[in-house]
Amino acid sequence: MSFTTDKQSLEDLNIFGKQGGDSIYNIFNRCTTRGGAAILEELFRYPLADYEAINKRSGIIQSFALAGTSFPFKSSDFDAAEAYLANTDERSKLTVQENTVTRKLTNMIAMDIETQQIYKGVESLVELMKNAQELMQALNGHPFYKEEKEEIRTILNDPAFAVMYESKGKLSHAQVAAFDVILRFRHRNLVEKLLQHIYYLDVYLAIAKVANDKKFVFPKALPAGQSNLLKLEGVYHPQVKNAVPNNIHVTTDNNVIFLTGANMAGKSTFMKSISIAMFLAHMGFPVAAQQMEFAVLDGVYTTINLPDNLGMGASHFYAEVLRVKKMAGELQAKKDLFIVFDELFRGTNVKDAYEATIAITSAFAKKRRSIFLISTHIIEAGDVLKEKCNNINFLYLPTRMSGHQPVYTYKLEQGITGDRHGMVIINNEKILQILQNGKKQLRKTTAYGI
Amino acid sequence: MGFKTDKQTLDDLNITGKYKAHSLFSLFNDTHTGGGEKLLELMFQQPLSDALAINQRSDVFKFFHNKKLSFPFNPSTIQAAETYLGEGTAHSYVVVAGGHLRKKFLQMAMKDEHYAQLQSGLLATIDMLKGLQQFLALLEGHPSTELFETVAGAFSGDTMKWLRELRIDQPLRLLQLARYDHLIRHVLRGEMENILRFIYHLDVCIAVSNVARDRNFSYAQALPKGEHIFKTTALHHPALKNGVANPLHLHEEQNVLFLTGANMAGKSTLMKSIGIAVYLAHMGFPVAAKEMVFSVRDGLYTSINVSDNLNLGYSHFYAEVLRVKKVAEEVAEGRDLVVIFDELFKGTNVKDAYDATLAVTKEFSTYRNSFFVISTHIIEVGEALKTACDNLQFSYLPTIMEGSVPRYPYTLQAGITSDRHGMIIIENERILEMIDE
Repeated sequence: MSFTTDKQSLEDLNIFGKQGGDSIYNIFNRCTTRGGAAILEELFRYPLADYEAINKRSGIIQSFALAGTSFPFKSSDFDAAEAYLANTDERSKLTVQENTVTRKLTNMIAMDIETQQIYKGVESLVELMKNAQELMQALNGHPFYKEEKEEIRTILNDPAFAVMYESKGKLSHAQVAAFDVILRFRHRNLVEKLLQHIYYLDVYLAIAKVANDKKFVFPKALPAGQSNLLKLEGVYHPQVKNAVPNNIHVTTDNNVIFLTGANMAGKSTFMKSISIAMFLAHMGFPVAAQQMEFAVLDGVYTTINLPDNLGMGASHFYAEVLRVKKMAGELQAKKDLFIVFDELFRGTNVKDAYEATIAITSAFAKKRRSIFLISTHIIEAGDVLKEKCNNINFLYLPTRMSGHQPVYTYKLEQGITGDRHGMVIINNEKILQILQNGKKQLRKTTAYGI
Repeated sequence: MGFKTDKQTLDDLNITGKYKAHSLFSLFNDTHTGGGEKLLELMFQQPLSDALAINQRSDVFKFFHNKKLSFPFNPSTIQAAETYLGEGTAHSYVVVAGGHLRKKFLQMAMKDEHYAQLQSGLLATIDMLKGLQQFLALLEGHPSTELFETVAGAFSGDTMKWLRELRIDQPLRLLQLARYDHLIRHVLRGEMENILRFIYHLDVCIAVSNVARDRNFSYAQALPKGEHIFKTTALHHPALKNGVANPLHLHEEQNVLFLTGANMAGKSTLMKSIGIAVYLAHMGFPVAAKEMVFSVRDGLYTSINVSDNLNLGYSHFYAEVLRVKKVAEEVAEGRDLVVIFDELFKGTNVKDAYDATLAVTKEFSTYRNSFFVISTHIIEVGEALKTACDNLQFSYLPTIMEGSVPRYPYTLQAGITSDRHGMIIIENERILEMIDE
């Protein structure tokens, strides 16, 4: 079973972002090759739901990060090689017989484009393979990346390619023609497989570099079905500058997090930080935290910026209800999920929101193997839930007032907060004064006008 | 100074935008010519702020509404004439004739297409002029506007006398071609421009009035600013064909409409209907309302779908606060506005929302020269406002429960409602059972 998520969650967490915008994908996309970037996107699209696979991938990346290996290939070589391999026309084969004086003379003036491409492609591939040989030497004794290394070695050491490693300096026409047949036709599969391996290598090395640069850590995946669901220390949002780190420990005895806090206290950012960490962890990628251990789940679903589809006639409240229903459907299918709701039921009146929050949260609380992260403004619901369920973890993000200015610590604390300062913000924006003063001015002008 | 509004408002009400589904512009855009569409767009971009101009324009629409005309021209004829008229010609008749002779020679010698193009362009233009001449007879009683008088005057006077006497051979002889070409493109250049403008104007008027007739829209009457009235006996949403209509009356003594109702009872739709009617009325366009009279306003601001701009670091609440601030600044300038706030301060906790809604509504309501429509889920604010102010109208949209299924009549009632059925919706979706399984 694979790890599932949906469009709403990907948008909430800004995984891919809008075209050209800053996104989580862009943080990691330091690939040298285009093939690598494509594979990276693939990895983002399909996170893993198997702890061994996750640990294997993160182990590979981690060991590359430790070794500080850098990608030894030139990206222009790949472009040339790809364009060259794309030409599968048998008639374009170079022949040795044609190497006549006439051909030499014409080529001296101007080589035709196709031949040029073949020359470049063959030269690039020979270069790539030589580099790969050297890299394999350098990676000797690397504990991870074993199978892949074996496969790459087998390809490289194929007797058909031996002639290439012997060539030195500029290739002669006869050599190019001979290699062309090997690379493009006879052993095409091997060459393509090799390129694919190198692209993966590109991805691994790029991520390792990001992990080193940003001081991300590699999470440890645990098999599903244990009481320790998540242990996160020093988690922060990778896109926020000077973000404040937080710790959180989720077990089956406190798997529902009930988050409160004033506006702008950082609730949404905290929820996004954890969700992003969970998402990346299930890809085997490094995360923005100091330490992370997690039991593998089947999916991540967040509801942070739910748009009300009023154009289609659905109210905000109904959109939320449908979203909760979707989660319920997934839980019903016996999946263990990471579910986030920011300001559950804000699109309705207080009493409805109060009742609905209690009903839904206490229903969720029965699912002990999933993690729920729910924030709300209706703090009264918290008191009832405290009585009703014993596995809810009440956390809040505090606000300290310094004079009239609210100050936010962004540090989680235990409990429920009644902090509010909406009126303070309104007063700081001087909305009421604007209206009061405006009227006075109007009176003056009319008085003078008369 | 024109009628002021902003992007948020236009988006909330889905007014402009050719390619947006169900935008008001696309509702009315039944035009046949490119110029007509451009003119319609211009009208949408610049609503009027003068009662006289508004009534004058709506009178023209009304005239066409009653005449039941359809656009008399073939769009391709208009296009050909536009292209032809767009190119200039020489000042002197002799040079024009010489140029055409050259073209004709080139056509014969080298199959050059210029001469044929010229000929078909001229014929299309004459076609268009003749069509308009006939059509003008149908426009008896067109309200007097500058453009109409100019064009009608040209056709009935000496300027276009040649057209009445025109007999042309097919194909045109070279000298005939040169003569009319010189006449149309040089001598009557100004008149031709007016004629094209008039045709675009006809296109828009016919398109808009046809839509109005189809959908049973009517025309609002604009009153001068000072009376501060907005009144209609039946208002509905123009994009909904069977929308339920509601009466509405706002004036100086009751300039705030305080709206309550359960989810899905139709609050947002009603608010949008009001905003759209105000906007269309200020364009002089037909409105989805009966017997509407209104005092001209200086602008319209709505806040129906404010989105949190988390990329800029704004929470939902802060985005709302900034929006209210912007409107407050406009109101404080002493402008006569229509302001619509849907579920003010929904992005915060109850107590803050209560305090904020109460304080802001109280201050806004003292500006008797502006109209406010405010909806909220916090009905307790209504009770407090009832005692604090005397110029609020309290209305609600009811919900009728039929067993466990809520039904919405969408008709406005006086008072405040505490209707709610959020839990029923959740129960009807059977969510709790799904989780429990």
